[in-house]
Amino acid sequence: MLDTLLPILIAAALALAVIGAGRRVRLWRQGRPARVPLLKGLAAMPRRYLVDLHHVVGRDKVMSNTHVATAGGFVAAAALMILVHGLGLAEGVLGWLLLAASATMFVGSCFVARRRRNPPSRLSKGPWMRLPKSLMAFSLSVFAVTLPAVGLLPEDFGGWVVALVLSAVLVWGLGEMFFGMTWGGPMKHAFAGALHLAFHRRAERFGEGNRSTGLKALDLDDPEAPLGVETPSDFTWNQLLGFDACVQCGRCEAMCPAFAAGQPLNPKKLIQDMVVGMAGGSDAAYAGSPYPGQPVGEHQGSAHGPIVAREGKALVDAETLWSCTTCRACVEECPMMIEHVDAIVDMRRFLTLEHGNTPNKGAEVLDNLIATDNPGGFDPGARMHWAADLELPLMADLQQVDVLLWLGDGAYDMRNQRTLRSLVKVLRAADVDFAVLGNEERDSGDVARRLGDEATFQSLAKRNIATLAKYRFQRIVTCDPHSFHVLGNEYGELGGHYEVRHHSTYIAELYEAGRLHFKPWKGGGVTYHDPCYLGRYNGEYEAPRNVLKALGIEVAEMERSGFRSRCCGGGGGAPITDIPGERRIPDMRMKDVGETGAELVAVGCPQCTAMLEGVVDATAEVRDIAELVANALTEAPEASAGAAQQSSNRPQAVEVA
Amino acid sequence: MAFDAIFQPIQIGNLTIRNRVVSTAHAEVYATDGGMTTDRYVKYYEEKAKGGVGLAICGGSSVVSIDSPQGWWSSVNLSTDRIIPHFQNLADAVHKHGGKIMIQITHMGRRSRWDGFDWSTLLSPSGIREPVHRSTCKTIEEEEIWRIIGDFAQAARRAKEGGLDGVELSAVHQHLIDQFWSPRVNKREDQWGGSFENRMRFGMEVLKAVRAEVGDDFVVGLRICGDEFHPDGLSHDDMKQIAAYYDATGQLDFFGVVGSGCDTHDTLANVIPNMSFPPEPFLHLAAGIKEVVKAPVIHAQNIKDPNQAERILEGGYVDLVGMTRAHIADPHLIAKIKMDQVDQIKQCVGANYCIDRQYQGLDVLCIQNAATSREYMGLPHIIEPSEGPKRKVVVVGGGPGGMEAARVAAERGHEVTLFEASEALGGQITTAAKAPQRDQIAGITRWYQLELARLGVDQRLGTRADEATILDLRPDIVVLATGGRPYLEQYPEWGYSENAEESLVVSTWDILDGRVEPGKNVLIYDALCEFSGMSAADYLADKGAKVEIVTDDIKPGAAVGGTTFPTYYRSLYQKEVIMTSDLMLHKVYREGDSLVAVLENEYTGTQEERVVDQVVVENGVRPDEALYYALKPQSRNKGQVDLEALYAIQPQPSLSEEGEGPLLFRLGDCSAPRNTHAAIYDALRLCKDF
Repeated sequence: MLDTLLPILIAAALALAVIGAGRRVRLWRQGRPARVPLLKGLAAMPRRYLVDLHHVVGRDKVMSNTHVATAGGFVAAAALMILVHGLGLAEGVLGWLLLAASATMFVGSCFVARRRRNPPSRLSKGPWMRLPKSLMAFSLSVFAVTLPAVGLLPEDFGGWVVALVLSAVLVWGLGEMFFGMTWGGPMKHAFAGALHLAFHRRAERFGEGNRSTGLKALDLDDPEAPLGVETPSDFTWNQLLGFDACVQCGRCEAMCPAFAAGQPLNPKKLIQDMVVGMAGGSDAAYAGSPYPGQPVGEHQGSAHGPIVAREGKALVDAETLWSCTTCRACVEECPMMIEHVDAIVDMRRFLTLEHGNTPNKGAEVLDNLIATDNPGGFDPGARMHWAADLELPLMADLQQVDVLLWLGDGAYDMRNQRTLRSLVKVLRAADVDFAVLGNEERDSGDVARRLGDEATFQSLAKRNIATLAKYRFQRIVTCDPHSFHVLGNEYGELGGHYEVRHHSTYIAELYEAGRLHFKPWKGGGVTYHDPCYLGRYNGEYEAPRNVLKALGIEVAEMERSGFRSRCCGGGGGAPITDIPGERRIPDMRMKDVGETGAELVAVGCPQCTAMLEGVVDATAEVRDIAELVANALTEAPEASAGAAQQSSNRPQAVEVA
Repeated sequence: MAFDAIFQPIQIGNLTIRNRVVSTAHAEVYATDGGMTTDRYVKYYEEKAKGGVGLAICGGSSVVSIDSPQGWWSSVNLSTDRIIPHFQNLADAVHKHGGKIMIQITHMGRRSRWDGFDWSTLLSPSGIREPVHRSTCKTIEEEEIWRIIGDFAQAARRAKEGGLDGVELSAVHQHLIDQFWSPRVNKREDQWGGSFENRMRFGMEVLKAVRAEVGDDFVVGLRICGDEFHPDGLSHDDMKQIAAYYDATGQLDFFGVVGSGCDTHDTLANVIPNMSFPPEPFLHLAAGIKEVVKAPVIHAQNIKDPNQAERILEGGYVDLVGMTRAHIADPHLIAKIKMDQVDQIKQCVGANYCIDRQYQGLDVLCIQNAATSREYMGLPHIIEPSEGPKRKVVVVGGGPGGMEAARVAAERGHEVTLFEASEALGGQITTAAKAPQRDQIAGITRWYQLELARLGVDQRLGTRADEATILDLRPDIVVLATGGRPYLEQYPEWGYSENAEESLVVSTWDILDGRVEPGKNVLIYDALCEFSGMSAADYLADKGAKVEIVTDDIKPGAAVGGTTFPTYYRSLYQKEVIMTSDLMLHKVYREGDSLVAVLENEYTGTQEERVVDQVVVENGVRPDEALYYALKPQSRNKGQVDLEALYAIQPQPSLSEEGEGPLLFRLGDCSAPRNTHAAIYDALRLCKDF
């Protein structure tokens, strides 16, 4: 009987899967067009899956192996099942292979089940709780129906009753695994995920050591293009596809600083809300952690309805979008390579550009940027006041130098001025040929862009690019990772291509080249805080640590460091939009610092310095790497008299620091 | 951005000054060695530059001519080329830290002394005697006028060749230029006197000669007063006319404006306003000058606080603020603003210890900062943590010496416990602050309170430490700064008794601390002639008492410095306090409800009596030595300080020696009664190596 039933069941499951797929594709196609090389993407997909994605999944060894067994077993079992039971090719090894594949899948399913026994809060429940059972149903039933096919059991073993029971279990399994995969269910991640990898909007992300973190420019000259994302259908189709790939594992949630601070953001829920919006409906069925402080079931939306309501509630509240620090911890963590930050900024763009609704100090900061080219609204002519006594060479005078020192808007901040002065001292000690733009420099546009004001960003960027185009330099060095990121990763799309170095990278190079000499460190314990825009955005984790090591400092690492560093709370304009939560992100970070027992936390970002120094009753002092280096500078053991004399004639002035 | 106005750079001539804060010219009184700047001088200015000051104008009253004596205040001598290499050291030291440095140059005319050094014949437009220095002078001759004009030009050249950034011509404090200006002093009828243009001529010729010598690429400024405050002197309107007249030449790069002339004791007290003055009392005069000139205007007088400076600059009253005493108190003032450590700034309290020493020809020192002007000896403004063992330090006594000892030891990283018997820190400062117009002296204590709290010193207030309490803490080092008691028992005839009911005399502390109700008819016998007696007199008069203050010295208040006794006199004369000198308190006895004070003239032996209801005696302090002698036998070093090490600013050898028992040191009045500075200096130089 099974001989007859199985091919029918399999064919039906495949047919339903095709129907489901048609529905999903229609949902995705509601999105705006995106230029993606379809065939090339499909061809690249297996490698992206097996290598790039596996790097992320592999951070959790048990789950990684579980997934290899379950998913690998399933893919093999499904294919073999079609051959063995669908087409009746049971002879030879195929049947045995099918047994092995389904057995492997079953073992994997057991591990999935084990994890679902006491699932961590980050995991969504609901339909996901039945997934291990479905996996077992599929693998067990396939295994069972294959036993007779390889001759381990008689053909008519157990009679029709057993056949019927087995068929019923198989129908459950097939339904979940085939129909559920495309129509919508936990297994949707496999279908959407595979295509998402193939048609990913950042194909350049994939490959050894590659990263793609710059926001994509909005085409402001295209009258058809919406200014940001108002409705789910304003996302590009492959963004919608990406949302569908979410497995609701909650790794993003576990890493999100805003979520931890009790602000109304949970990246996982945000992605699920987009999935809900794509098909239309309410979030009531969502079975994961809510946005802190916001009950589930009160929001709803549709593909062509607004995501954020002007008044009342729609799919998502504006506060959710403004809580994000753009730290990319979610993106870094996501095993499905979903781009949460892109989506959030897309939606912010609409709120800022179309609604003019940037909360709290947001509007003021944007007005300042428009009027004064700096977010603080300071006199543009006062940008160099901090260096009045340093006699800094100007690009306008020199035209051509080795290093263009990009100051950033920290030039207006008394705290950051100490970092800048230290950096100048270091560059002078190493006799670096450098100059600054002086009053020609403008804000890089980072904050404007993260706050969604793409127009102001592009205006600033284009003018900075035009200024930079007037001069010749080998590289740009900056102590501001935000400027570093924007200049290095986001100006390119607008025509500005530069070699940009974070000061820690450059200092490490100078040290290695023997151009800097340090006194041994005499202070207490030190930890290092990875700035998001240096680490996750630009992959620079080593240089700052190498510099600290060169200073004789042994870094006591925080539990969350490197690519898992916890944000200071200062990115993405979050301190400006200032969405209330239950606690402050920098306070949590300072607690991380405290747990290492360090008396000093070394940083490499003006924002981080400001946020961490704003912590009340902190147990550690905050110092930029440049400050530590400047304080440790000493003459070379046998310094050439000429160089020493040259540097002593110029103002050092770091002590005014 | 906080303090924007302070940190806005400014262009003076071709010079960019990094901020708006200036250390204005004052006599340092340690450019010794024949007027050549010394290492001490250079280090003093280097510290200010390191601390972030925008511009320092050094060398108040630095002389350009051989007949303007430099020796009295050891001022800088620009009358010889020998000064040039010294200036190069000075300029390098300041420039290295991004600061700018200029020097004030002058000929003091009649405002000096003739009875020493070269026995110079002093000069003045009309030969009129100068009262403050009791100096006579000759009427200057035409040839001498032209010689001195040439001397100014040569002096400016030497400043320029030495690498300084500019010169400030002094036409303030009644120096030769403003002696020509002022009709009060200039009675000439030739081309150098009489009409406005004639009175201006000397200064104008000086300016022309200087500018011709140094060219355009060197800053030349002029310091003037805003109003001489003499009916026959130059009024504010006159000064505006003068400023505009010189400004119109376009040859001046800045004006410095000081309110008040200073050729009497009373006006002199205005020039460096002590704590009895309100903040920036003469800003309006500088603002008036700014109204009529194009060149930037600097004003310094009682500007001590960064917020005050910011407010003045933001208001646009002047272009730069002088914070000179503020920098004597804390040369790192600017750096602390930038470090967001405004609360850590040691603020000048206007005690005028600095300037009053200067007027006595002594080196300028700060009452509360013993490191100032001792940088060359290695006394630090910023105390570095010790790299040696962490010690348990017990300090007894919360007066200035004890507070400084606790602060320095805590900065060194030691565990510090500070005992103070009374409920508040401050010691005698707290008493001193009770007098009218003297409350700001408490600023010294306020700074220590903030610092000791910041440094986590264990403060046991209201706790009188005894031998057992101290030894229970098992200290490594004990510093005693227990002060003393008023010394009223020296002459039994005074009738002092420890029983307040029986005692015929009370102390100034009793009065100021409010332990004794003020009498209605009071005689103060003041053997010291310092602040305490004057303060008690002022306090009692303020409470409505009829007061006579008697001393056997030359005059009550004789030991109070030149910028402070006038403000006491203003107050005491106004309150009709009688000041009597040359009488010693011989005896006090009771007669009915009254007290009779028998006074004896020191020179004739004649006795006279006063019938009063209260006799207050100020006879100095007797050290409180009991605790010291109790601890001394148990201490490792028997309480001895190695003086050679102390005076050489070196660590006490006992710190590195092994032995039983704690190290014991005593500071300040509990050793011998001296002053606030002495206590703080001893504490700093002793504890900096703990």
